[in-house]
Amino acid sequence: MRVIISDLGNDDLERLFPQPLTDTILVKNDGPIHHCLGCFGCWVKTPGACVIRDPYGDMGECLSQCTEVLIISKCYYGGLSPFVKNVVDRSIPYIHPYFVIKNGRMHHRSRYKNHFDLKVWFYGDDITAKEKQTAEKLVKANAINMHASKYSVTFVRDIAEMEGEVR
Amino acid sequence: MKIALINGSPKREDSASGLILKIFKDFVAGDENEIYELHFCQPQLKKEEVAQLTDCDVLIFAFPLYVDGIPSHLLHCLRQLEWAFTAQAAKEIMVYPMVNCGFYEDVHNELAIEMMENWTVRAGLKWGQGLAIGGGGMLSILKRIPLGHGPFKKLEAVFKKLAHHVLNRSSGETIYITPAFPRFLYKLLAEVGWRRSIKANGLTRKDLFLRVGRGPRP
Repeated sequence: MRVIISDLGNDDLERLFPQPLTDTILVKNDGPIHHCLGCFGCWVKTPGACVIRDPYGDMGECLSQCTEVLIISKCYYGGLSPFVKNVVDRSIPYIHPYFVIKNGRMHHRSRYKNHFDLKVWFYGDDITAKEKQTAEKLVKANAINMHASKYSVTFVRDIAEMEGEVR
Repeated sequence: MKIALINGSPKREDSASGLILKIFKDFVAGDENEIYELHFCQPQLKKEEVAQLTDCDVLIFAFPLYVDGIPSHLLHCLRQLEWAFTAQAAKEIMVYPMVNCGFYEDVHNELAIEMMENWTVRAGLKWGQGLAIGGGGMLSILKRIPLGHGPFKKLEAVFKKLAHHVLNRSSGETIYITPAFPRFLYKLLAEVGWRRSIKANGLTRKDLFLRVGRGPRP
């Protein structure tokens, strides 16, 4: 199964994915989303699920069942857009509160044995060289912290550049 | 000089970021300085807050690291501020972010600080200096142990250095600080803390490992 997390509107998504999506969960900005409150309830009250029960409360379970996570986000300051970052912040039930040491640095232990392929497409017509550097490092760090098997980062100016390339 | 102390934690009270700012305030307070304290805990700023910030000379942010970056609600606020700052006449406003993370190593905060630097450029402001604090899980110790003592004893010297830059509106390299405390003990104490928390919620230690749905076991 694949998970797509995107800040694009329906028209742009239809341009990128003209055929009906199969075996895919599409997480898009089509309803109110609450931001992560930093309460850690997803670790110590309802382990594995966010305590905020809006449509984005089961991201942990969602990620545990996929083989690929495709993120399509406008690049903000070398990072994800506010909506996509909100979804990613609400995804920490996917990991475990305990720490492990990987390559000399502390990270969170995995809750599941799952290792998805993380693909991130950043779009924006004026992404600076420095923002690209930050974004590349960010995706690498996210891949380590989310226990991804591999990752890739692509920058495009607009949606037209992604057409036919994103699958 | 008008200095804004901005708490970027989504927690309404008792946040490590709030504690950091409370302590740092004493290093920049003075008769010649007006201090404004703001708490960005929602993804939307009020008009009055935006107006107050555009009138400041210095913006000091303190926030927690969220998944290698800036928490989403704060990102919304930064976007709103970017519009406000770029729309107004140029005024040299300095930016100093302090980022803390639950991981032991301070270096995890590097990317959030870079993003703040990138935001500073977009908003037409001037970069001051970043502060990266590791071992954020231990910061509450500062409530009980005086500054200059305990695992964060270096923080006093770090705050003096940062305050010097703030008061002189100057820039510097990012400062990194990790607690003077063994990493294996920090890790162990964190695990004890999670076990206590889950038991306090009426669950068991094993429940920390619950898997929702059919995700495979590690």
